[in-house]
Amino acid sequence: MHDGIHAEKAGVPSATICTDRFVPTATAMARMWGAPDYPTIFTQHPVENLTRQQLRQRAEALAAQVARVLTGGLP
Amino acid sequence: MKDLGDTTTARWDGALEAIERCYELGWTDGLPVVPPVDHRVAQFLDYAGRDADEVVGELPERRRRITVGKVAANAVMAGCLPEHLPVVLAATEAMLDPVFNLVGPSSSLGGAAILVIVNGPVVQQLNINARGNLFGPGNRANATIGRAVRLILMNAGAAIPGLFDRSVIGHPGKYTYCIAEAETETHWTPLHVGRGFRPEQSAVTVFAAEAPRQVRSVGQPEAILYAIADVASSLGTSMSTSGSVGDPAGGVRQGQIAVTIAGSSQLWRDWSKADVRAYLHPRIRRSVADLKQALVLASPVAPGDAQRYVSLVPEPEDILLVFAGGEEANMSSVIPSWGPKVGSTAVTREIRLRP
Repeated sequence: MHDGIHAEKAGVPSATICTDRFVPTATAMARMWGAPDYPTIFTQHPVENLTRQQLRQRAEALAAQVARVLTGGLP
Repeated sequence: MKDLGDTTTARWDGALEAIERCYELGWTDGLPVVPPVDHRVAQFLDYAGRDADEVVGELPERRRRITVGKVAANAVMAGCLPEHLPVVLAATEAMLDPVFNLVGPSSSLGGAAILVIVNGPVVQQLNINARGNLFGPGNRANATIGRAVRLILMNAGAAIPGLFDRSVIGHPGKYTYCIAEAETETHWTPLHVGRGFRPEQSAVTVFAAEAPRQVRSVGQPEAILYAIADVASSLGTSMSTSGSVGDPAGGVRQGQIAVTIAGSSQLWRDWSKADVRAYLHPRIRRSVADLKQALVLASPVAPGDAQRYVSLVPEPEDILLVFAGGEEANMSSVIPSWGPKVGSTAVTREIRLRP
């Protein structure tokens, strides 16, 4: 969250993916850095124990949202 | 939502109302706090001879600048006495050293507490317990200094459980975790002296750590150390798991470890701290076969893996050895780090006593 918000503030388009167990933390972090509307992309928790193939599927499912956020849209 | 802003001022009429109001404001660790009334905070600042606005350090990732005034207010809430403030200030300064990387241990799922180890003349002056019930209750200085550190993290550092502190299980040391070394009762070099300070200086060492695991053993030095090494080599500690920020070449995260040794110093008359560390360091390790069984290393167990070992602690000096605990028996404790040494390194700072 911290790095994504800072990249964006520095003019570098960013997209941050966070698992849904971290919604309160991510939201508070965005507020803390003065970016309450930062368009965080949330995905189902957890990702740690996904296989390589499952992780790929998850990434593919999120790709369109990442593209939208990187081009200034909402997830 | 708790107030995440800079400061909050509250008014109250009586003591009980004040205590309840502190709960409502989200200022407590779950236990009642001493309300941080202005004159009490001022008394602490006067004692330490420090200015409330002086900056102790920053937690840049959370946009927090931690001032002496905030440290003092939390020390009051924790139940400290004014003379404890210099110790709490030194511990705060140490935690805010960049190599400690406070944002990590104060937020991580790993649920670290900040172990505070006090050395030097201040231990006697403030009656900080280094003997029986080392990690247990019953001594004001230990209980309140350690508690102040946690309240500072929560109230001044925004390490609020469920918000920026995302510990999965945490441990009881997160309420308070402060010990001293019984350095006047051993020939061993005090921890702070081994870390570059003079014996007549007082110092505090902070270490982001898991809970202490007690080690019972019979009264022979090698047998005691053999058992300590076995416990320190357990699977499932932060040091014996894989991780994104460890050294990938080693396969594990390699962290620092604190070891406390109780009992009579006489038993160790033929051993220096360096001897103890030299004995322990090569024995704190785990076989490649075990690490693979626990999926710490990803590949299948191969012939010879049971005879190949991975060291869990980077260097002998990364074993923080402390002579402390009751005199009655040879009980030791093993305290693994929260994370790899590259993720958080123990820091020692001088305690600047009243000028």
